[in-house]
Amino acid sequence: MEELVQHLTPILKEITGYIFPNEVELHWGILIVLYPYLTGLVAGAFILASLVKVFNVKELQPTYRIAMLTALAFLIVAPLPLLGHLGHPEKSYEIFLTPNTTSAMAMFGFVYAWYLMAVLLLEIWFDYRRDIILWASKEKGIKKWIHKIVSLFSKDISEKAIRFDKKSVKIVTIIGIPSAFLLHGYVGFIFGSIKANPWWSSVLMPIVFLFSAIVSGIALVLIIYMVVTPLRSKPIQMDCLDKLASYLFYVMIIDFSLEALDFIHRIYESEESIKILSELVSGKLFVSLVVIQLLMGMLIPLASIAATKIFKAPSELKKMVYFIAAILVEIGIFTTRWNIVIGGQLFSKSLRGLTVYKMTFFGLEGFLAAIGILILPFIILFILMRLLPPWEEARNP
Amino acid sequence: MKNFLAGIPEQVKRLSVLLVILVIVFIVVRSTLIPNDFGKIGHYRASAVQNIANNELHYAGQEVCVDCHDDIVAVKTKGYHKNLSCEVCHGPSIKHTEAPDEFKPQIQRNRSFCPTCHEYLPSRPTGFPQIVSASHNPRKICVSCHNPHNPVPPVTPKGCEACHAEIVATKSLSFHSEIPCTKCHVANEKHKLSPRDNLPTKPTTREFCGQCHAEDANSPKDIPRINMATHEPRYVCWQCHYPHLPEAQ
Repeated sequence: MEELVQHLTPILKEITGYIFPNEVELHWGILIVLYPYLTGLVAGAFILASLVKVFNVKELQPTYRIAMLTALAFLIVAPLPLLGHLGHPEKSYEIFLTPNTTSAMAMFGFVYAWYLMAVLLLEIWFDYRRDIILWASKEKGIKKWIHKIVSLFSKDISEKAIRFDKKSVKIVTIIGIPSAFLLHGYVGFIFGSIKANPWWSSVLMPIVFLFSAIVSGIALVLIIYMVVTPLRSKPIQMDCLDKLASYLFYVMIIDFSLEALDFIHRIYESEESIKILSELVSGKLFVSLVVIQLLMGMLIPLASIAATKIFKAPSELKKMVYFIAAILVEIGIFTTRWNIVIGGQLFSKSLRGLTVYKMTFFGLEGFLAAIGILILPFIILFILMRLLPPWEEARNP
Repeated sequence: MKNFLAGIPEQVKRLSVLLVILVIVFIVVRSTLIPNDFGKIGHYRASAVQNIANNELHYAGQEVCVDCHDDIVAVKTKGYHKNLSCEVCHGPSIKHTEAPDEFKPQIQRNRSFCPTCHEYLPSRPTGFPQIVSASHNPRKICVSCHNPHNPVPPVTPKGCEACHAEIVATKSLSFHSEIPCTKCHVANEKHKLSPRDNLPTKPTTREFCGQCHAEDANSPKDIPRINMATHEPRYVCWQCHYPHLPEAQ
């Protein structure tokens, strides 16, 4: 017993006001912060990719395949934080076998599987099919076989078949947009539907999650594009970058307005929780919410992108501004998830006291595990880019 | 038919094969891994109910207690503890129903048990009897004053502690906790109405304390003794010792 409660001692010293005994320790830690962050990146990257196919934004063509592969790499990793948090990953298949339709959390497996198999993999497959067949025909050894298997031993690259591919990509994308909304809206729903928690319970939650997801996805693709292109000794296409930054800017304005709406709504409603929430925002969450999320992650990137537009900055300066803005946005959206997940557990249900979150360094739910899970998608993306090169020049071998 | 098949694009055929394989794998896995009785009565194995029912029993349930202890149950069902089951305090006692003489249920005699419910906590409802056990008669066990089968709510103090609560609390911690106030102080009834005009007495002689603390006193052995002739003969005891919390060990 002593050992079980020993780690609570430093937390107990930082508790303020009155809290119930089972609220001292947070149950959802850094891994649950990562989960909505990663799924958000997936949904955001996919929605960016669909702009090219559905809305025919020609300038973004160079990022289309990068965005698709990014979405796939991050989607593969997205359930890992959940598995790590729940423990017993060997039992995870059971939610597929005996679906519990009354539990939103248990339905995640199906939302995930639908999105992975019916949307992402299908779209990538149709988009890459012709190229994979061509690559396989010119390669040798293991790579040839990987490509053959991935193409499902398909051989037809006639004009008609390729037309069919293009049509399918468009159809899948059109199905994919609501699916991406579903995937991330669902994550927001998980929090928004917890009516006992005034910090989470809000119908706006899925929408706010969704738009912050799009923001983070666009920023991520922008970062990857700006890092990978020079590494391949290719010029960065300025019109593509400008378009990305513009979309980032517009979506951030929507995201900002939604969050402001949520904020004003809470203050005007001023329910009984408002006092403890304002104490939370002005105290334990001040740095992560006001300084990092709002100022660094939202206002500074918005202002700097706006400044490049107003003052018609030279392209070298623009690149730097976009890059820094995108990184700040990523940090900002991460703290958004942090503030929702951690913030929602810092105050007592008695609305009279606050606890504190102590992250461990080692262990399955510690800082190191979180860093590992954050790095993993980039490794997967690297392998995917090797297997399925997303570059324009790789298309015509 | 042949024309229809030929009209299907190659991609769709291949994907359909993959889909069919996935569906078959899913069905096979589902049918082999899901226990047969899953979902018969709910989102769980029906046999789990039997598994749980087969677990060893520990609690008898208070209906069984009535059979022998009807007198106590009759008292308890009228008191404030009527909603508590007997085994909440007496512990799991199914063995007692099987072998009443060999297995005796526990009787709570330590001071840590009752405060599980009655220790002061701000979240407990107002009016619920609560104590701070560190200062609430710390040298006594709960059942020496309270009858757990028929606890009565606290009453307004009518004796000395009504006005001298602090002294009573101090004394309750001391070796003198069992000595009533009136042993050392004589206070007439008028003291309650007009306390300053009718002051109670204090011991005025050394011999009063000597009744217990003199070397030849007729009192329990563990009480500290002094030599009345040599131990500071010019002073009354309470000039040096505070009788409500004597320091001697």
